[in-house]
Amino acid sequence: MNEKKTAAQSQKLMVFVLTMSLYGLATLFTELIPKFQVGIVEFSVEYFLFIPLVLAILFDPMSAALGAATGELVFSEIMLGQFGGLGELEKFITVTIGVYIAGRMVRNPKNTRMVGIAAITGTALQLFMGMAVDILKVQFAVSDFEAVPGLPESVFATEGFAFLNDLLFSGILFCLLPTLFLVPRLYGKIEPLLGMRPRTEETSLGGISGKAVLGVLIGFAAAVGAEMLAESGLPLIDWEASWAESGTAMAAGLVAAAAMAVIVLLIIRRNAEVQKSRA
Amino acid sequence: MEGLKRKLSESILDKFSMDFLRNQVLKNAYGNDDTVIARLDPRALLVWYLFFAIAPWFSDNLIFLAACFFLVAATTLLARVAGLVLFLFGIGVFAQTGYLFLVSLFFGGNAQTILPLLVLTLKVAAVSLASITVFSGLDPDRLSNGLMWFGCPERLSFSISYAYRMLPMLMEEFQNVLLSYRLRGRAPDTETFAGKIKNLIYQVKVIIHAFYPLMLNTAKRSRTTVEALELKGYRYAAVNKEVKRMKLASLHMTYDDFLFLAVSVFWIAAAVLLNTLV
Repeated sequence: MNEKKTAAQSQKLMVFVLTMSLYGLATLFTELIPKFQVGIVEFSVEYFLFIPLVLAILFDPMSAALGAATGELVFSEIMLGQFGGLGELEKFITVTIGVYIAGRMVRNPKNTRMVGIAAITGTALQLFMGMAVDILKVQFAVSDFEAVPGLPESVFATEGFAFLNDLLFSGILFCLLPTLFLVPRLYGKIEPLLGMRPRTEETSLGGISGKAVLGVLIGFAAAVGAEMLAESGLPLIDWEASWAESGTAMAAGLVAAAAMAVIVLLIIRRNAEVQKSRA
Repeated sequence: MEGLKRKLSESILDKFSMDFLRNQVLKNAYGNDDTVIARLDPRALLVWYLFFAIAPWFSDNLIFLAACFFLVAATTLLARVAGLVLFLFGIGVFAQTGYLFLVSLFFGGNAQTILPLLVLTLKVAAVSLASITVFSGLDPDRLSNGLMWFGCPERLSFSISYAYRMLPMLMEEFQNVLLSYRLRGRAPDTETFAGKIKNLIYQVKVIIHAFYPLMLNTAKRSRTTVEALELKGYRYAAVNKEVKRMKLASLHMTYDDFLFLAVSVFWIAAAVLLNTLV
């Protein structure tokens, strides 16, 4: 009976590809469309999270969540060259967690109220984790964070405000309402296209288990850890301090070695070219 | 005067059409495979990127940060990145820190606040220019090969290759669905202010509704894709070492790659030297 319960591997791959292309396309547009602000309220079409939410509610949540995070990474970050290193890891993890939790919460997609609750919970979770990580990021990037006048308060205020703004504006308009609109319409129609049966009470993965919560906590810790690397990377800072002292000789040596390497490589390259043209 | 104004706004709107966006994205992805950066070995570039993505975060030294910034700015020029991407980068960097500065003024910040923020801007700018160089300078296939060599999951390389191939088609389809919605619907009158608001809501609604047929179509397409992959034994090949070796056989380190790395090291070492002398 086990095959009936969980989707086959190839079907998981289908869900992954589907979510990746759709959410990737949407985030690509949001990256390109400029935001505009009215007063301090930001109106951005930033949030197309309803796409992975709908798909996570209808299909396998884990594949949809990973697909969404990968899609965003590949389409809007890597293709546009906006890849921001460690920061993207944080986004990847928070999107995955938010979508996965929302997908696991819904046992029966026909239950509209549960779908609504799941959609807004997933969004809020993702936004909240994003906010927490953002605050930490500024704290570590700016040295003497507390000492700079006005900076701590302003960071808390802007981030907190952005969180509420995103949740109340984008969260409701672009996550909750579209999800409520799309789930009942797609239910029973999109599953046959992937060769699956619609999710029912019996075939759902069940509610959120302790294992899932644990996984989420570990994931969030990893997201924070990625950002905190700057703080815990103490040996690196020590190393910096040591060359600042013993200093000039070592730096001069480095410069000389690098200059040597450049010259030698230039000569080798010329020789290779000459040989090639002779041959 | 009135005519000029209308003409100006029209030309700006023209520039920002769907086709313009599509062209810029495609140009960024495929358009520049003949640059110096694109010819480098992806592995060398990724190692290079790893340094410039991480090192600036750890340093508060102005000379070092400025050196990093100038180097990555030079490589960005060499990679001939599409204009739109650079424009977005500029907005992203300066909007973020500028906004933060304004708010901190509000909370009793002063001119002293601006220095740490400048350092932050420099860091962010250096890191993101490095990523622009690597990720839009490189051909997608070379990029995914490079990532695979470093042991990134096969899923990611697959996603990158797939995304670059499918994107033009997806964009066209999305545009078609949108246009057909517009043809059938009736947009609100935009003469009055209330009409403008209504129009905005209408546009957003159309975009969201457009995802309904798009989801169904893409579902069909992704099933076809996955079935085709299965026929070719993709999931078996993805974990097979022999296949990976064959795939990566095309990568060669050349003198140019070493030269590129050596010049970068030289530049950074020179900055460090300068720093100890000052």
